Amino acid sequence: MIAALWHNLDYAASVILFCIGLYAVITKENLIKKFMGLNIMETAVFAFIVAIGVVDGGEAPIMGPGVEPPFINPLPQALILTGIVVALSTTALALSLIIRIWRQCGTIEANELREVE
Amino acid sequence: MTPWPPLLALLIVVPLTGAVITPVVGRTRAVRSANWSLGVMLATSVIALVLVVQVARAGPFSYVVGGWLAPYGIELRFDEFGAVIAVICLLGTLAMVFSRRYAARAMAEQRIPYYYALLLLNLTGMIGFAVTGDLFNLFVFMEILSLSGYALVAVSGEKIAEMAAFKYLIMGAISSLVILLAIGILYALTGSLNMADVTERLGGAPAAPLAVAFGALTLGFMVKAAAFPLHIWLPDAHAIAPSPVSAILSGLVVKVGIIGMLRVYQIAYGSGAVDMRTLNHVLMWLGALSIVMGAFFAVFQDDIKMMLAYSTISNIGYIILGLGLASSYGMIGASVHVFNHAIIKATLFLGAGALIFQTGKRTLTDLAGVGHAMPWTVAAISVGAISIVGIPPTAGFVCKWYIALGAVQAGHPFFAFALVFGALFIFIYYIRMVNAFYFRQPRDPAILEVTEAPASMLVPVLILASLCLIMGVMGSVPLSFIEPAVHRLLLPLGGG
Repeated sequence: MIAALWHNLDYAASVILFCIGLYAVITKENLIKKFMGLNIMETAVFAFIVAIGVVDGGEAPIMGPGVEPPFINPLPQALILTGIVVALSTTALALSLIIRIWRQCGTIEANELREVE
Repeated sequence: MTPWPPLLALLIVVPLTGAVITPVVGRTRAVRSANWSLGVMLATSVIALVLVVQVARAGPFSYVVGGWLAPYGIELRFDEFGAVIAVICLLGTLAMVFSRRYAARAMAEQRIPYYYALLLLNLTGMIGFAVTGDLFNLFVFMEILSLSGYALVAVSGEKIAEMAAFKYLIMGAISSLVILLAIGILYALTGSLNMADVTERLGGAPAAPLAVAFGALTLGFMVKAAAFPLHIWLPDAHAIAPSPVSAILSGLVVKVGIIGMLRVYQIAYGSGAVDMRTLNHVLMWLGALSIVMGAFFAVFQDDIKMMLAYSTISNIGYIILGLGLASSYGMIGASVHVFNHAIIKATLFLGAGALIFQTGKRTLTDLAGVGHAMPWTVAAISVGAISIVGIPPTAGFVCKWYIALGAVQAGHPFFAFALVFGALFIFIYYIRMVNAFYFRQPRDPAILEVTEAPASMLVPVLILASLCLIMGVMGSVPLSFIEPAVHRLLLPLGGG
């Protein structure tokens, strides 16, 4: 069990990160902290997918003189580049929403906002 | 005869480009952006119509983007389930028309072009989601439509709009992440992102990661579809959003979860590597719970849009139940309900939007007696209400009947009972609504002085209401249209 976990340390780490993020999203009252939890979750998933492409002893797949296989699989990295762009837009939108909530309600604590509603 | 192949790519490129250009077109005069986006939507509708006719004639076809053959390139694939783009284009066009007067009153002039751009982006995301054959593209399109959806909820300017949008964003982003995680696992197992290719290579994959992947996909799509315990983001978001946006969100955006689920089924059944029975059982219960609880909450709402939002949860429950039954009748009923519920719910939301626009009131108590002042709008809403209850000969009847048949066919008559029970609840609250509009004493006599909605609002509502009736009378057309796809889907299970 421990050996299997150690062998797949990268996957285990992303699962743990994912859970930390989820915990923050659920328990934190401050909207910015909630959203930081979401960012942690995003990072965890991105790390997981990038880790899929890693090959032991692999090199960056850039062609040139003296470059030998095995190469690291570049596809997950390309996917995650797109994923990061999506995460960035989500963050931008969420932060602007938080600013507007602050202006309208004067607070960004979820429990106080429920009273305002 | 196959249509000019790039037509499938144009289906996405036209509205996407159109959306990006919209703010530029409307820079000097906002009304130009309204005309422009309507034109873009009409062009997209024409393309969609050609494609749907083609798929009805000759079955599914695909287009390889940039000439890179699958599994290396990105594939767009159009099948009968993808025909939901016809409804997307129809509702999109009508919502654009409806928005003209709404936007002019509800938002500042310089914001209007951005509103239309977001609306177009949202529709593009849905169209892309319905026709892509690539798992990662599925995620990208899902994010396009989700992000524009969050922003559109916040547009309305109601006091808690931003909070509703934020709640929607958090739930939506988590579900997207869970889906992305599952896509990552599937890629790790198969080394491919092309759905057809993944289906082929999935055989023999270890059971545990497969279970995690399909469980995560289901969970993610159920959040998007707002199945009962995962629905908490929906009522506020759908009730607070501008009415044309509510129609799109409630009629179409929640269906993204359903279409996604259909794609999951295509992979799971096609590969035969996954035992879906446990998952199907969960889905049946989720569906039954959503039907009853959605209807139950709706009974206690006084806010008309809030009531419609809860009614969406209940109707999504029907679809999920139909999917979970995994019998041919249930599946056909569920797929057709995706189309029919979109039309019915858009009728109701746009009708309610017209009422709110004219009277400035949004609770049933305040709207009592409005049927005498706005006869056409309220008549259309009544048709929608009858349809959603499922009284023949309207659009809602056919699908619910098929799902009930499917429950019996699959050997779960209990769920047919849940379905009828839910329909009774739904009947109660829609009767309450129609009763308030026609027969209750107006609380404020001023409501009788209100004039009928302007043509740009009334015409879309009437078109949709007549479609509710037409889809009921010609109910066999969509059923026989979707049938080959369902049979192909259920074939590996030993027919259906």
